[in-house]
Amino acid sequence: MNGQEHIAVEPDASQQSPGLGWNEIKTELVAFFASIKLAMFLFIVLAMTATIGTVIQQGERPETYIKEYGEEAYRWFLRLGFTDVYHTWWFTSLLGMLCVNSLTCFYKRFPGVWRSMKQDKVNVSLPFIKNLKQTTEFSIAASKETVAEGFVGLLAEKGYRVLAKNDPQEVTLYATKGIMGRVGAHMAHLSATVIVLGGLIGSYYGFQEFGVCLEGQTYHIPKGNFDLHVDKFWIDYHENGSVKSYNSTLTVLEQGQKMATKTITVNDPLVYKGIWFYQSSYGDSWDRIDVARVNVKEKDTDKLVGTVDLEWQKEAQLEKLGLKLLMTDFVADFGFNSTDKKVYSKTAEHANPAIRLAITEGPMQTSPWIFYHYPELFDIKGSKYAFELVGYQPKKFTGLQITKDPGVIIVWIGSTMIVVGITLSSFIYHRRLWAKVIPNENGVTVHLGGTTHKSQIDFNKEFRKLTERITKLST
Amino acid sequence: MARSLFLFDMTFWLYLAALVLYVTYMLAKRPAMSLAPAGHPVEYSDNDSGWAVQIGQVATIVTVFGWIVNSLALFTRAYERMQLSGTFAPWSNQFEAMSYVSWAIILGYVLLEFRYRIKAIGAFVVGIGFIAMGAASLLPYRYQTAEPLVPALNSYWIYIHVSVTLTSYAAFAMAGGLGVMYLLKERAERQGKVSRLYASFPDLETIDELGYKAIMVGFPLLAFGVILGAMWANYAWGGYWSWDPKETWSLIVWLIYGAYIHARMTHGWEGRRAAIYAVFGFLMVIFCFWGVNFLLSGLHAYA
Repeated sequence: MNGQEHIAVEPDASQQSPGLGWNEIKTELVAFFASIKLAMFLFIVLAMTATIGTVIQQGERPETYIKEYGEEAYRWFLRLGFTDVYHTWWFTSLLGMLCVNSLTCFYKRFPGVWRSMKQDKVNVSLPFIKNLKQTTEFSIAASKETVAEGFVGLLAEKGYRVLAKNDPQEVTLYATKGIMGRVGAHMAHLSATVIVLGGLIGSYYGFQEFGVCLEGQTYHIPKGNFDLHVDKFWIDYHENGSVKSYNSTLTVLEQGQKMATKTITVNDPLVYKGIWFYQSSYGDSWDRIDVARVNVKEKDTDKLVGTVDLEWQKEAQLEKLGLKLLMTDFVADFGFNSTDKKVYSKTAEHANPAIRLAITEGPMQTSPWIFYHYPELFDIKGSKYAFELVGYQPKKFTGLQITKDPGVIIVWIGSTMIVVGITLSSFIYHRRLWAKVIPNENGVTVHLGGTTHKSQIDFNKEFRKLTERITKLST
Repeated sequence: MARSLFLFDMTFWLYLAALVLYVTYMLAKRPAMSLAPAGHPVEYSDNDSGWAVQIGQVATIVTVFGWIVNSLALFTRAYERMQLSGTFAPWSNQFEAMSYVSWAIILGYVLLEFRYRIKAIGAFVVGIGFIAMGAASLLPYRYQTAEPLVPALNSYWIYIHVSVTLTSYAAFAMAGGLGVMYLLKERAERQGKVSRLYASFPDLETIDELGYKAIMVGFPLLAFGVILGAMWANYAWGGYWSWDPKETWSLIVWLIYGAYIHARMTHGWEGRRAAIYAVFGFLMVIFCFWGVNFLLSGLHAYA
């Protein structure tokens, strides 16, 4: 990458008036932002700061940090943004700098690459060739045309693009190969900005939501202006009992019309109108169960007189006992809000499950909460019976990740550019050779010179081999 | 199950034997100590005499044989996985991944030996392959067997994402081994030591260039592997990048080698500094591959 720029002499730079004009500042700025040193600095600083977020848990609740690191440390974490490193102003600025760096490098160096793709650099002087990194000089006892033709043939055979200029007193040759290596490097440089752009578009125009959905229910997706019905949810198991897959059959409805149906599973989402539905997780619902098993005991004798499996919100009649039972509510972790007198589930864990039972016993009607872990907590006044919740089958919910990301396609374009670009620049390197064939008393003198921007050793080897073969041209 | 484990065990012993043979080869007596000129690796076997030639040949044969057994072990494991759950990728857990990495390292080494005819590198690169295999066999038995895959892993992405990433690790391992070799030889030359051992090494420039080449192979592979991972994540989790420790660490490793690649274009970043950096980079790869799984938690915790 370096070394190339010095070949072309730029006389216009010295024509500018001395002092600190805009052009000088611009040159300085471009030189700074396009520098390889800045790139190395950014790579290393990004690598170092990125480790922070892998050591300190990100996005946890304050208590978690205080418990693990203490209050003083947590205050520093907040100040430095260590609880969400990758979204801090300084981390994003570093990424932005990397984009500026690679774009400036493109701006500064790509025109040169473009020129060397387009231009015929065959008009060079002898001192120019003698100043190249690799040079050699030898004589051959043959005519200038023979040597030049043989030389061109040899270079073409090696895959070089060759230009020749035949003047009366000399033949000048220019040969180039592997420019795609440099084009690749610049493609990779542009890709950084493309990927960041895709990410920005995603964060401005996309969204990410999580839906806890139950079989048989319909949910409105406001951002897509359509409804989603969960037809079915089930889990498949391996022979050893571990989970093989979990699946939801989803139907998209628009104004009650079925538009699409798909069974999604992990690694196989549903896509509708740019919105992706992923099978993300599953679990036991905290406010619904399918079946509850209730034991009915006679209070006086403590004798079991009946067992009933209650289905969700379906009344069951126990004619013998003169009872009607209806399960109206369920909470997984019983909590009571005393201000608005409402029962709720404190967590999603089944820590203290309870059902609410609507009991009709003759003329008496009551609806107490029955606790799974505390069967004898409440006595139901005016009833002959005691009710025990002995078991229940939780309703499984399906966890759906609902995502829209219009930037993702741009990210993939950038990704392709980076992979193709790096691959090209890793395996192809740019080589340029110049030669002048000048007749002398016994034949010709060949002045050969060349440069490369990397893989100097391979190039030296090729240069040497080429020289050997050219010197044999006369024989 | 037992069949593939037996083959993995055999691979371990064969690589150990190969390592011992390469070390012996380096120490073996050879009369001519001519050094190859830059970029012109000489056919060392021409200069070798006495035991060195034979030991060198046996080392190569044992290495190739070990690699074949390693391949067989991976194939057998793939077959066992197929029987078990319908996916066959023989790099679906830490143990299998390690075995695959050593397979890739040894393959890379064998190709290098056949192309450049430098056997002394074997002591370092086969050494790393052996250590990878050894570390795998030190894992508890329950990590070595093929359990059915969790739903998130049960996808065709596992074939390409994991293999590409692991192959890049192998390339970096190779560069690390060459870096160590460079530093040893460079130190010996600086101190003016001329020993039989260092005479068997290729010259510094060649080691340097080969190390650079290994990184040039690993760098695009790692980029490809990380991007395939992002694509998989986008399919499985609904987001291509979530700063999970494993993906962050693979990015860190990539950035470290990115700095190396750019550094190579400025003056003074060949030779000793580059070798130290390559060794440091490889240590980071080891952390990304092993450390993250055992020390940090995250989405990749199962692999």
